[in-house]
Amino acid sequence: MTELTLKINGEDVTADVEPRLSLADFVRDHRRLTGTHLGCEHGVCGACTVLMNGEPVRSCITFAVAADGTEITTIEGFDDDDPMTMLRQAFHENHALQCGYCTPGMLVAARDIVTRLPDADEDRVRLELAGNLCRCTGYVGIVNAILSVIEKRQA
Amino acid sequence: MADGGTGPGSDGQGIGARVLRKEDKRFLDGAGRYVSDIYLPRTLEAAIVRSPVAHAENLKISPPAGAEGRFFTAEDMAADGVQPIHVVSKFPGHKGSDYPHLATGKLRFVGESVAVCLADTRAAAEDLVAGAEIDFNALPPVVDMLAAVEPSAARVHDDWDDNVILDSRFDANAENVSAPVSVTRTFRMNRQAVNPLEGAAVLAEWDAREDRLVVYSASQIPHILKNALCECLGLRQNQVRVVAPDVGGGFGYKCVLLPEEIYIPWVAMQVKRPVRWIQDRREHLVTAANAREHHYSVTLHAQPDGTFVGLEADIIVDSGAYSVYPHSNILESTMAGRTLHGPYTFSAYKVRSRAVATNKPPIVPYRGVARPGICFALELAIDAMARELGREPYDLRMQNLVPPEKMPYTTITGGEFDSGDYPEALRRSADLIDVAAVRARQLEGEADGRLIGVGFGCYIEMTALQTSAAARAGLAAIPGYEQAHVRLTPDGGLEIGVGVQNHGQGMETTLAQVACEKFGLDIDMVSVRHGDTATSPYSTGTYASRSMVMAGGAIARTCDVLGENIRRIGAHLLQCGFDETTISGARVVGPSGDVSFAEVARVWHRNPEDLPADVDPAGVEVTSGFRPSPDKSPFSYATHAAIVAVDPELGHVEILDYVISEDCGTIVNPMIVDGQILGGALQGVGTALFEESCFDAEGQPLSSTFADYTMPGSTHLPNIRLDHLVNPSPLTEFGVKGLGEGGAIPPPATIANAVNDALREYGAEVSETPITPRRVRACVVAKS
Repeated sequence: MTELTLKINGEDVTADVEPRLSLADFVRDHRRLTGTHLGCEHGVCGACTVLMNGEPVRSCITFAVAADGTEITTIEGFDDDDPMTMLRQAFHENHALQCGYCTPGMLVAARDIVTRLPDADEDRVRLELAGNLCRCTGYVGIVNAILSVIEKRQA
Repeated sequence: MADGGTGPGSDGQGIGARVLRKEDKRFLDGAGRYVSDIYLPRTLEAAIVRSPVAHAENLKISPPAGAEGRFFTAEDMAADGVQPIHVVSKFPGHKGSDYPHLATGKLRFVGESVAVCLADTRAAAEDLVAGAEIDFNALPPVVDMLAAVEPSAARVHDDWDDNVILDSRFDANAENVSAPVSVTRTFRMNRQAVNPLEGAAVLAEWDAREDRLVVYSASQIPHILKNALCECLGLRQNQVRVVAPDVGGGFGYKCVLLPEEIYIPWVAMQVKRPVRWIQDRREHLVTAANAREHHYSVTLHAQPDGTFVGLEADIIVDSGAYSVYPHSNILESTMAGRTLHGPYTFSAYKVRSRAVATNKPPIVPYRGVARPGICFALELAIDAMARELGREPYDLRMQNLVPPEKMPYTTITGGEFDSGDYPEALRRSADLIDVAAVRARQLEGEADGRLIGVGFGCYIEMTALQTSAAARAGLAAIPGYEQAHVRLTPDGGLEIGVGVQNHGQGMETTLAQVACEKFGLDIDMVSVRHGDTATSPYSTGTYASRSMVMAGGAIARTCDVLGENIRRIGAHLLQCGFDETTISGARVVGPSGDVSFAEVARVWHRNPEDLPADVDPAGVEVTSGFRPSPDKSPFSYATHAAIVAVDPELGHVEILDYVISEDCGTIVNPMIVDGQILGGALQGVGTALFEESCFDAEGQPLSSTFADYTMPGSTHLPNIRLDHLVNPSPLTEFGVKGLGEGGAIPPPATIANAVNDALREYGAEVSETPITPRRVRACVVAKS
């Protein structure tokens, strides 16, 4: 077992975990933050995307112990975050979700796009989203939602 | 009413309104509750010992060390009297077989369940799996469906004469099938995986307070799963409750019973603790969620002027090792044989269709069931005929589509198209894609050396499977009258219970819109509850594009009954005659005043002393039902059209433009309709270009991760242009037709026809999905 100290959604957390435990299983099974979803567990689908020190990571292929000393933000940690508030509304208005399973990872990836690339066009948004799979929507609503937030943030 | 929520005072929230989804908020907050998000105290995690080979006998299992009371096999289940899954169709000649929950002596596909290991964590349970030893005598596997039908092939099931599960013939005027011009082609739609982002998941416990087994499962069919649990485990109906909470996509995979849905609950009963099994992606890709896999030899016969005469085909469907509950293993082969004609007129038909068993996972229904394959085969044969005759593929289709004046139209195989204007869908898609502009561009050529092509795909889809068709096949789930339960709550709102299951379709919104249309309530006052057998009316569930037609119809009919009850109380309060009342804006309106639903509800629930003496004791809580009358299915249809650019040197296919002209009858919510079509279309693009579950000669699966199995991503399709025709169905409430599956049906045909149009100067034709660069190059090289 390995001791682990980190911040999750602003809260200080200390735990003793197996070295093989993934960050995703840690936030889900140990912290009961179930908004982080597991779609493939091999780093392709992006459903488990969380922020580590402000940057998106695949929590399914990140060991929990590798998060020692970091700040993790899961989908439950964005209540007072302006870009996320705008994205949630835009996803709602653009029918950017159906079953909702990819949505938390999509939103975390989308927040990274709108904050890091304030001038991104559709092609760039589609390229940036290539690391997140959605089986329901055909991506049209998701791309439109992200573009609408980029436009609003430019105004 | 398709033009915008014009129900009685509905304020734009009824049929036709673009209402934003009521269910979005919890998903956007990360607060959806899927099976894997439910934590019960003392839960044990399950991991499964699975077959490493495709075919073997004399299976022997040695438990891992330290697994006493935490390791279970088929022997343990048999000792407890658990019955296997056994689904036999009523079609004559169908060969039956058991689908064992855990393997019993023989192994029939890689990934088949062998034993269950339990531990406090999944990782520890997987450690136990690694310590289990199994021994067997390997047998030659049956891997390819064309080899499987040969007499020399090994037998998947020892007691069968051959591997043909069902040999069906669909002949009509077959002696006159020939005509002066014929084209013959073979086509193959390869096996793929369904891949909802949430895989299967089961959590089960014997609940002492409820005194029954409670099973949480990611299911589209909770009531049918409950039937199966009772049948296999020997429990009474009042001893089982199935909950399908939020479900992360299904697309057909979750409308069949998985062995895990039986043996995990059984194991939970043995250990007297909750047990959960969460399928990982490798298990999903390898063990269960396989679909499609059709082979066609097709001959299309026509007059020299292009009039279609006869259709001949020999169809083989690889159904895998077992028959799945409740839809069996012949759903694909019989539907393919019966409806290969598509939306076209034929005067003769000679089609043979065989379902064959192989040492691969059983195929499951997947969005479109059989129709992506038949659309692919027929539409490619039509383009081959057009090239043979020197005609525009567009013109040849227009000449042979069933015209609107022939509706309702009885097909050559006895089906009935209820309504629609098929040529208009083709005409509009051709206008949008601009065929003339493509032809001009082809003459000019491309600066980058790529080749441009345009292709069409037309289809019809029987939606909301009717009672008689399911009964004829003898399926284990036959849909009858769909029911809804509607309750006027004490504050004047509505709680609606339905037995269908919402897993992304937006039904918590669209089904509420039906009630808004009827009563003019604010949609915030309407709640739709589903996914729990304890609280919803019985239903065969959500599949076959049936939920809006059936559950929507049931809600409409039930609201009609409830509305009368509300009007009776309202008439008493208004001191007027029942016949003098109407409902508008959630109020009962009489000749000299009106009274709100809230007031009616208050009197019924809180002040019954104010009710008339002869009040109907049925009150304001009603269950009623619907099915189309007569017992027929509404047919949706569409034409898809695409422009592609093909690189003949590299074999790469890029979609440059894609348009869809579709008709799903009356549109309940245009936003949801567009979303269903767009999502379905991208799945169809996956079938067309990317997705394939490959196996080696020993039956080992080669596509076991998302790195080996390519899912369509955000860069793979330009924004599709959608166009809607609205021809209401005469069979249904509001004229709606089923919609969920259609988008996925014609993209393989459409894209392949566009590729073949691009390659026509080479005389090359692709004939197999997915149309990978390797396959395009092979076609070009063969003709160079």
